[in-house]
Amino acid sequence: MSEHPVTLVVNNRRYDLEVGGRPGDLQPTHTLSYTLRETLGLTGTKIGCDKGECGACTVLLEGEPVLSCLILTVECHGKKITTIEGLEDPQTGKLDPIQQSFIDSGAFQCGFCTPGMIMSVKALFAGNPSPTGQEIREALSGHYCRCMSHYHVLEAVAGSVPKAGGTDE
Amino acid sequence: MRSFQHINVFTLEEAVSVLKDSGGKAQVIAGGTDIIGVLKEQILPDYPEILLNIKAIPDLDYIKKDHEGLRIGPLAKLAGLAKSPAVREKYGALAQAARSVGSPQIRNMATIGGNLCQETRCWYYRYPHSIGGRLLCLRKGSGSCLAVNGDNRYHALFDARRCFAACPSDVAVALLLLGAEINILGIGGKRTVYLQDFFHPLGNALEPGEIIGGIHIPTPPVGAKQQFLKFTLRKPIDFAVVSAAALIVLDGGICTEARIALGAVAPGPRRFPEAENFLKGKRLETNVLEKAAGIALEGAKPLSKNGYKIEIAKTLISRALSACLENESFNH
Repeated sequence: MSEHPVTLVVNNRRYDLEVGGRPGDLQPTHTLSYTLRETLGLTGTKIGCDKGECGACTVLLEGEPVLSCLILTVECHGKKITTIEGLEDPQTGKLDPIQQSFIDSGAFQCGFCTPGMIMSVKALFAGNPSPTGQEIREALSGHYCRCMSHYHVLEAVAGSVPKAGGTDE
Repeated sequence: MRSFQHINVFTLEEAVSVLKDSGGKAQVIAGGTDIIGVLKEQILPDYPEILLNIKAIPDLDYIKKDHEGLRIGPLAKLAGLAKSPAVREKYGALAQAARSVGSPQIRNMATIGGNLCQETRCWYYRYPHSIGGRLLCLRKGSGSCLAVNGDNRYHALFDARRCFAACPSDVAVALLLLGAEINILGIGGKRTVYLQDFFHPLGNALEPGEIIGGIHIPTPPVGAKQQFLKFTLRKPIDFAVVSAAALIVLDGGICTEARIALGAVAPGPRRFPEAENFLKGKRLETNVLEKAAGIALEGAKPLSKNGYKIEIAKTLISRALSACLENESFNH
């Protein structure tokens, strides 16, 4: 059994989790989304469908957007994870420009899909500071919004592009 | 999820040895995008006692060109295949197929080996245990195929006899088109199967204790043009209703080689030799392409609700062939 402790670095903070059967212990069956929410109390990551179809649970694993509902926490040992809570400036509490742009554009109604979308956009901007409209749509293609806020989301993302100049198609 | 023991292995040999010792109670996890869903919903009567994580094995995500073609490690991610210059240059259909799978997040997780080994999407087979109990069927070892008298709109048109589930892999369609071979490791050593022999009516060619060790694609013929296309209901992320891939070689406007493959219409991806032979030696006018598509679908045996897939398949074949010709004129 992989009973060694599992170390996660979530939002630059290190967590050492014991694997075992006691209350609060990490179980091999726990998904990353479960651990983030229930064990670490980071409830910004949402669980929508819990089967990889909606994108609400998207977090960054080593900088890449992945679905935390389909990843076992024990398989993230030593990995760097970024969740929505990791985007604001820890010193000043200032929101990431993407978060601020979502607020300014009113890019949500219920907001359940928002953290996942923002994480995908964060990864997009990290690799491509001036994406085209098509590239933005592509980066968001794994996210469902049932309130139909998609157009406001595109506006919000376009408004937070780090280096303007990407041409729309 | 119900409990299981989780084991990391660090070599393929170690994986084979754990699989052997477990006596069928261990299951391999790679990207996890399919198996986690299978385990959460407990669709199968057998639940693994051990989940064997092969992601800890180093250097199995390679994509390497060599003098014989392309070698791909079983842990190569679909996102990596879709953007790899080596894949896009000469194996464009594979890059397109990998790009068509799931969402960006899924492609960052899913591996090529896992894509080939994923369970079918048949909705009877995948019915969740938590909602009134799983449905038993021939593929699960008891009863008959529920799609025959049920809602079979996404089921097989070809080669199905007792189970009508269709193979969901898009990547397999491109690999079949390109003549790929699968290297398999097991207790007895290594063996190689061609992709057309990898899929069986009720699963795949992996025997208990075996694992995919790598994939080899021979260099395509000089001047070959290829195209993969996929029809889905939900555009950005969905499984194929039908997928198609075509490869064409022209010499002075005359077709000297033609390959046509379809996905999601049979227990595995399928080639169409009669239609391919029909194209050879001809100038590929639009009516010739449409005729070939018609020939390909002649042997289709639709069930009560999936006859519409025939028309989609024909259209995709014509469009994939046309796209090859457009690529041709574009490049010269």
